[in-house]
Amino acid sequence: MKTKIALLILFISGNLFAQEQKMTEAEIASFKQDVNVVAKKIKTLSTDFVQYKHLDFLSKDIETSGKMVFKEPSLLQWQYKKPYNYSIVFKNGKILINDEGKKSAVDIGNSKIFARINKLIIGSVSGNMFDDKEFTISYFKLKGQNLAKFIPKDATLKKYIKQIELTFDKEEATVVQVKLLESSEDYTRIVLKNKVINAKIDDSVFTN
Amino acid sequence: MQKSTIPFLLINCFLAILLVSCGSVTKNYTPKKLDKTAVEVPYFSDSKTDYVYKTNIAVYGNELSGIFIAKKINDTTHRIVFTTEFGNKLMDFEISENDFKVNSIVSELDRKILINTLKEDFRLLLKKQYLIQEQFENESSEIYKSKDGKRDNYIFISKKDQKIEKIVHSSKTKEKFTLFFNSENNIFAEKIQIIHQNIKLKIELNYFKSE
Repeated sequence: MKTKIALLILFISGNLFAQEQKMTEAEIASFKQDVNVVAKKIKTLSTDFVQYKHLDFLSKDIETSGKMVFKEPSLLQWQYKKPYNYSIVFKNGKILINDEGKKSAVDIGNSKIFARINKLIIGSVSGNMFDDKEFTISYFKLKGQNLAKFIPKDATLKKYIKQIELTFDKEEATVVQVKLLESSEDYTRIVLKNKVINAKIDDSVFTN
Repeated sequence: MQKSTIPFLLINCFLAILLVSCGSVTKNYTPKKLDKTAVEVPYFSDSKTDYVYKTNIAVYGNELSGIFIAKKINDTTHRIVFTTEFGNKLMDFEISENDFKVNSIVSELDRKILINTLKEDFRLLLKKQYLIQEQFENESSEIYKSKDGKRDNYIFISKKDQKIEKIVHSSKTKEKFTLFFNSENNIFAEKIQIIHQNIKLKIELNYFKSE
């Protein structure tokens, strides 16, 4: 099964030659420490992102893009700017949505999964996600990058997300890509770029 | 005797009006001779196109938004997927004139009444050809009537620019739901609204170009 999944991932990413090598225990420990050291320094983070929704039956991935802003301890905003304006804020345990000016609280369909993804993304910048009781985690090396794969333990979550993959830049030890694989062989891939760490970000950014 | 006839007549008239007014959804249309036997709706008919729409669903005061994706996967069947903006799948259907398959649906939306309603809506939305039995007109549109089991579909084509403006799905006496189309070129619809008359459900689709 493991090899099957690994093969599938290779095919899906269309990246047969990017060798994915399992980390040794020592490498895992050092990778975790690197991420932790950097994460501890992060007070704020803002980054542009491009999201690719891949569905097997479509001829092209659906591409949307925008900006993500994070502020300690748990303020997070995802803002889609193209091709539409849609922003979602995680704040004090609430999820606020602004859909082209139309404001609301989160839909039931999103909340659970969103909350967990949110926790994972925040976890990956704050450095405590590797102790998460909710996932079985495996670690790999790529060229210039590290890869952590999270398989949900919870059966309900597993129905929607088969696996979450976080790719880290080796030098900076921060997340550069988030990939969410659904139970069928479809996935969402989010590429983070133009990262700015510890710029002053006002709390008012997180109103929607 | 005379005294009682007038109210009686009045009631009769009133009943007659009532019967006429609920008797037919075509009461305001003028019948005319058929000028064609079939109408083609091209809006979801191209198997090479990924039809991707930003979607808002308003149902009994609740709002749900996301991305609606439709693709013709073979001669008879469309795949329909509805995801959140974030990308996670909420529903995944395969739909044709005679078949319907739920590939997946999140438990929060897994309600028979909802699925059946969407099935009806989407089946009509994706339908490519309507066979016509009767024709009407009003001031602005040619109106084609197409039988659909026990119900009927009325296709409105504007006289001004020959575009399909709306399709009304109705029983013999009542409109059930209506599809409204906005299309620049009459091949592709930029905006679609599905509005139900008997339940509080409105689905709005706005096409977006992936970057």
